[in-house]
Amino acid sequence: MEPRGEVFVLGLVLSIVVLIISVMISVWARRFTRNLGDYYVAGRSIGAVNNGLAMVSLALSLTTFIGLTALIIEGVYIAVAVYASFTAAFIGLMILAAPYLRRHKSFTTMAFISERYGSKSLRYMSVIVMMIVSVLYLAGNLKGIGIVFYFLLGVPEVVGIVVGGLVVTLYVTLGGMYGVTYNQTFQTIVLLFCLLFPVAIVLRTLGASGWFFPPLGYGDMVPDMISFVPHYFWAMVEHPITYIAIFLGSFFGIIGLPHFVMRFFTVRDAREARWSTVICVFLVGLVNTTVYATGFAAVYFMQTTAGMDLTPAAYDYMVFILVEALAGEGWLALAVAGSVAAGLSTVSGLLLIMGAGLVHDLYGEMKPEVDDEKKLKLSYAAMFVVGVLVILFSLNPPEFILKAIMWSFGIAAAGLGVPIVLGIWWKRTNKYGVGAGMVVGSLIGLLGWIMIDYMGMNPVDIPFPFFAKYLYGPMGWIKVTVLAVTFSFILTVVVSWLTPPPPQELQRQVDEMHGWQDYDEKRYNGKGLPITILVICVFLLWFMTTLYDVFPK
Amino acid sequence: MKDYKLEVWVTTICFILVAITGGFFSSFVVILNERFFDQVPTPEGLVAFYGETMFVIKENLTVLGFPLHYFLLIMFSWIGVTILGAIWCLVMDRLEERQKA
Repeated sequence: MEPRGEVFVLGLVLSIVVLIISVMISVWARRFTRNLGDYYVAGRSIGAVNNGLAMVSLALSLTTFIGLTALIIEGVYIAVAVYASFTAAFIGLMILAAPYLRRHKSFTTMAFISERYGSKSLRYMSVIVMMIVSVLYLAGNLKGIGIVFYFLLGVPEVVGIVVGGLVVTLYVTLGGMYGVTYNQTFQTIVLLFCLLFPVAIVLRTLGASGWFFPPLGYGDMVPDMISFVPHYFWAMVEHPITYIAIFLGSFFGIIGLPHFVMRFFTVRDAREARWSTVICVFLVGLVNTTVYATGFAAVYFMQTTAGMDLTPAAYDYMVFILVEALAGEGWLALAVAGSVAAGLSTVSGLLLIMGAGLVHDLYGEMKPEVDDEKKLKLSYAAMFVVGVLVILFSLNPPEFILKAIMWSFGIAAAGLGVPIVLGIWWKRTNKYGVGAGMVVGSLIGLLGWIMIDYMGMNPVDIPFPFFAKYLYGPMGWIKVTVLAVTFSFILTVVVSWLTPPPPQELQRQVDEMHGWQDYDEKRYNGKGLPITILVICVFLLWFMTTLYDVFPK
Repeated sequence: MKDYKLEVWVTTICFILVAITGGFFSSFVVILNERFFDQVPTPEGLVAFYGETMFVIKENLTVLGFPLHYFLLIMFSWIGVTILGAIWCLVMDRLEERQKA
């Protein structure tokens, strides 16, 4: 991909304005931070609307803005089906975890797992899993910022990764959770404006009659598209386990990704946690459906423009190419500023949770005698060090930004999502079961990523006994998520059952999380849930290995 | 105990519906319709009918110009789950008030 050849002044100015406003918001928000609780969970004072908007910007990272468009060019219908699952997963997060986590009064996911199961070892293990998934998630997003800088200035992506990473590290370190929350709210508003309007103009230029409402505005272009790309809307008769893998990864992954969960620790109460998610999913759906329109327009534009011959590696730039060609430089400047906002918001949330994990969950647990004031000072330092380390790691980013993020969803689902869900809904879950499930589940996901994505091995050749031969087909690698999540569930349930139940004070937490003032041993303690989970997991493992005569390679 | 069971059942039903609407539904509309109503795919007949690529051809079934399964996918995974989430929130708000009372 060639750079534009000249500095894009208007885009640069708008991007710098976004960066400056972000730092200013953090400086302003700093005055609210008086103790550790303020720094990490904004004093648990955030309302539903503010939290909902902040969650939107967390969800709509650069992967949505530019990565999803690239994925749609590559995968058409199946790419949209993948992302539909991510949108719906927010409601899964809400009904399985959000309000209950808020009632638990923890600071972080890792603290929740440690306190719910009464185990320091689990706290350390979950910090390790959190660091792995966060780094994978961050690498993709920092590469996105590099892409924006490359497009703006023609400088190598690495410059964008370093500059963007340093700016976000600065404002997260300065403002803590108050700064991050108000910044994310601001960035959501910027993002909505900077996506919807340029896409509407692009659709109008392409001749769509419903251009003023991009999510449903391109229906009359469908016949043309089918004549250019006959399989654009065709659902592939693929083994349904692919869809199930996407479902497991997105629904349990979003529960396991600590920067999403951390938002629920910041709200005033469980009711605000619930309604903030409804606000979030509505807006996330609006943006995602708009990006489906962007992907459609990108494919349409590529088909109707002579000499349009992009390599797959350049698909990440397609949003900017499209907006520049069909809407003009003014709208392009907006789209670039929106991309910067999208990248910053997600990176900031991840940096905060990584800093919190290191200082609050690791150092604080090893040295409980250290007072909050010292921890707060250490948090500033840890956040800065983590930011710099992640920038260094991201200097060798993944080829496709969305792929790294899908792997992180899978690992988070198996390593953190399963312990959280079972910890809320089944009292009998104990530390032994969670330890076994967390280690095996996250190792399956991590080894899968290392061998398939990092080392570039063919999925069917990886040394996963018995199952590797079934990892074929488009996105066949994603079936690793089924293995990771089902093994995590099975081991957690079986080992918990075979070992002594947790003490009553730990089981009491489950009733408290569900809002009960009294304790009743029978609540959330039946055999129906664990048996159902076991049956479904065994069925899925069997299902993964069958029906290949009906759904051939 | 009654409220506890209500919470568990409402949550279970909502979760199943959200899981189905968030991506699965449109796929199954296509796959099940082809398999059971159009009676096309048998293991032997699939490749012969669809070709090696295995793409399903759906014609004359559109909403606002979009193929039905695509329209269902984007609407259910957006408006559908938002409404389901809001209903769950309303039920849980009621339950919380009863718990506090």
